[in-house]
Amino acid sequence: MTQLLQVNNLTKTYGGPSVVNSISFELEERTSTALIGPNGAGKTTTLSMLAGLVTPSNGTILFQNQPKTDIRSSIGFLPQYPKFFPWLSALEFTEMAARLSGVEARQALEDAKKTLEFVGLGDAMKKRTGTFSGGMKQRLGLAQAIVHKPGLLLLDEPVSALDPVGRRQVMNLLKELQQETTILYSTHILNDAEEMTDQLLFLRKGTLVENGSLDSIRNKYENPRILIEFETEEELVRFETVSPWMVTKVRKMATIDAVKAGVGISEVLALLHSKKFSIRKLEMQTASLEEIFMKVVMEG
Amino acid sequence: MNSFSVLLRKELRENVRNFKLYWIPIVFVIFGILEPVTNHFLPEIMKSVGNLPDGAQFNWPQFQGEDIFVSLMSQYQTIGILVIILAFMGTISSERKNGTATLLYVRPMSFGSYFLSKWIVINGIILGSVWLGFFAAWYYIQILFNPVAAGDVFAFLATYSVWIIFAVTVVLFFSAWLSTGAAAGLSIVVLLILQIIDSVIGAFWTVSPWKVSTYATMMFSSISNQSGFWMSIGVTVVLIGALMFLGINSAKRNAAKTTV
Amino acid sequence: MAELANIPWNLILPLIVLQLILMMVALIDIIRHRRTNGPFIMWIFIILLASLIGPILYFIFGRRQE
Repeated sequence: MTQLLQVNNLTKTYGGPSVVNSISFELEERTSTALIGPNGAGKTTTLSMLAGLVTPSNGTILFQNQPKTDIRSSIGFLPQYPKFFPWLSALEFTEMAARLSGVEARQALEDAKKTLEFVGLGDAMKKRTGTFSGGMKQRLGLAQAIVHKPGLLLLDEPVSALDPVGRRQVMNLLKELQQETTILYSTHILNDAEEMTDQLLFLRKGTLVENGSLDSIRNKYENPRILIEFETEEELVRFETVSPWMVTKVRKMATIDAVKAGVGISEVLALLHSKKFSIRKLEMQTASLEEIFMKVVMEG
Repeated sequence: MNSFSVLLRKELRENVRNFKLYWIPIVFVIFGILEPVTNHFLPEIMKSVGNLPDGAQFNWPQFQGEDIFVSLMSQYQTIGILVIILAFMGTISSERKNGTATLLYVRPMSFGSYFLSKWIVINGIILGSVWLGFFAAWYYIQILFNPVAAGDVFAFLATYSVWIIFAVTVVLFFSAWLSTGAAAGLSIVVLLILQIIDSVIGAFWTVSPWKVSTYATMMFSSISNQSGFWMSIGVTVVLIGALMFLGINSAKRNAAKTTV
Repeated sequence: MAELANIPWNLILPLIVLQLILMMVALIDIIRHRRTNGPFIMWIFIILLASLIGPILYFIFGRRQE
């Protein structure tokens, strides 16, 4: 995989404590990266610096291995609440966006039409954006961000303002885009991150506290447990006497910390089978991303 | 250059669709017609509606056509300037405030093109309105008063246009630098209050942008101070250039203040 | 009546026409745009009744962009 963007020690200070404090990360081409953190963690400021709106106080940005201060010609940016000139139609706005990003006139009109069809605004492209609903604005926001086929898409909370149906539709669009572009998006909704991400960046108070692939972060924090629910409490007591592993009991349920006990689910199953325990349920539990988020971002 | 033409079209569309391209010229032309008409008919109207005793005599000043140009200009110096300020005080600042500027600023456009596109369209609307207003007045002056030499009228309009461009540039610069409210306040100070101050105590100097309109009125008689006139024009043109430069820089520096 | 005939209508007419156009432009805009600072109906009255200044006031203070 080739590297698209490398960010080193990116910092933003407005006099007081840093809003973004020396964060470094890399984006590989055609991957999706989720920027995760609670409100006020510095997600929007980070994206604004990459989008060229906010000048970094410190740090360097390498785009395709070239040091750059202005990467605006290679990006598409979608703010959390995109605002449009209410007196322009969706088509006029998207065409203007394409032309400002350097697409030649005739091509721009064609691309704008195609992109609006793609985001599902084909029927509304001649309408003025002042009449648009929140969901339509979000889709138009996406259209203006992708119309010039940028190498890097920066999306600030792309679905969090939408209702469940709108969220589903935009998520599907993003998954399609994921095939051809590099995406960096911020979110505080973990389900979204879980659904389309190759890399996770956890921000807390402007600092990058954890960084890695979904799998590696899962492995690190998943804290796997084996859970057995017995038919009766007697069976649980009998199990405790034969079990070589530490068992925590809650009513008819036993939990074994798989890492501490150094045991896999198959060994537990073998023991249960050989001693003929009657059980209701046997499962491997891992921490959800939600729990990992709480652990990484909220604690410590 | 590409981004400039795109932004220019955006500004034109904006001013067509918010009707500024229509209502501002109409207002200036209405004032342009009202001035000669009222000055011509006022004595008669006063005579017919006012219950004057039979022997009473009113000596209305005998206006010349040239005087009507000057009195229309003093209307534009207050009402016209106020219209410029109030109609365009938010040109850059409100785009920033309401967040519509964000999706422009994240694109590889130059802030020079951004500022210049607005400067050209606003100047086009205002200069067009002022000239149309004076042409309308001129037409009525020819009928109701005396013919005025075309050379004088064009020299007057050309000189006054320098002041108008200065006024537009001041408003646009403040809008690039500050919030809409502050831009309006400071524009009023610079364009209306300093104008009054210059006319009250300005006898001590001959060179200032606020004297350009006075020099413009001298085109109908004779310029008392040729070098003062040209120096004032020069200073105003230099100030216009400096304000444009500062405006472009302010717009760029303030890009981070746009609502994201 | 005699005074009415004395008024040079050919000179005054353009003024009246322009005022009407200005009023029409303001009315078309307010009805299409529909968003005003303050009551919509109040602005309709201002445009209709305050002949020259009404439409100007509407365009400058009454019209809400966002």
